[in-house]
Amino acid sequence: MSKVLITRPEFDYPTRYISAWAKKIVELVNKKGNALDLPREKSNRKLVESMLKKHNPSLVFFNGHGGKDCVMGQDNEVLVKAGQNEAMLTDKIVYSLSCGSAAILGPASVNSGARAYIGYKRDFALMYDENKRTRCHEDKLAELFLGPSNQVMVSLLKGHTVHEAHISAKNSFKKNIRKLLTSTSSPHSVCVPYLLWDLQAFIVVGDSAAKYN
Amino acid sequence: MADENDIKELVIARIKAAPEGVGVSFGGQDGLSKDELIKHIEANDEIGRKIIEVQMNFLTSLKEGRLYE
Repeated sequence: MSKVLITRPEFDYPTRYISAWAKKIVELVNKKGNALDLPREKSNRKLVESMLKKHNPSLVFFNGHGGKDCVMGQDNEVLVKAGQNEAMLTDKIVYSLSCGSAAILGPASVNSGARAYIGYKRDFALMYDENKRTRCHEDKLAELFLGPSNQVMVSLLKGHTVHEAHISAKNSFKKNIRKLLTSTSSPHSVCVPYLLWDLQAFIVVGDSAAKYN
Repeated sequence: MADENDIKELVIARIKAAPEGVGVSFGGQDGLSKDELIKHIEANDEIGRKIIEVQMNFLTSLKEGRLYE
């Protein structure tokens, strides 16, 4: 199997959460021994570009803040930006858990040769239990958002197509929405507008039939 | 048709009904509490307008039966 590059900046609560949940994917990938894990300060542009060039991973999982034309790393350093270095993603399948990057960076990457770009065309909303901030990976509230997100990677790593991974993750979002809407007692029902927002922002650009191998 | 103040009041009421101790991260913000969300909405700043958009999107989707699309 080809290597998988995973960026995991950690410097505020949102990035701590998404890093902790992305670590589950690192562990899954490492069962086969091929994760290029870039936690905290290692999530910098120089190292990302170097890893992409040296190891040529066929799957890239960006975690962090972002904008319509970029994804960011530690302390919001821009890692990939449309019009600058999106050609680094040529021949790769990309999943970006970041705000908005599927709007401009996604199409720009695919136009520059990326096989597919999965991400969010507008801001990604995340909710969490403030009492669980030191044990992010156990937070059931955050799991409602980050569980469906991780499903993209789980599905791709199983050898499913980009389309199948997208549908699987969307179904996971929908399942959580349905569960909360039909619950009469869940304190988490306040999440539904934010889960729906994420679901509606979640898109694929490029070749839906592409597979990680 | 509801005016802007009606919508603001509706969204603030929905947020007030949420349990305490829930953080919301949205658009690069470092986790907002219930009180902070309400302050942004009352200030009508960019974050406040986005929160209103999220809540109104839900209500509109619910009304139009577009929840699972």
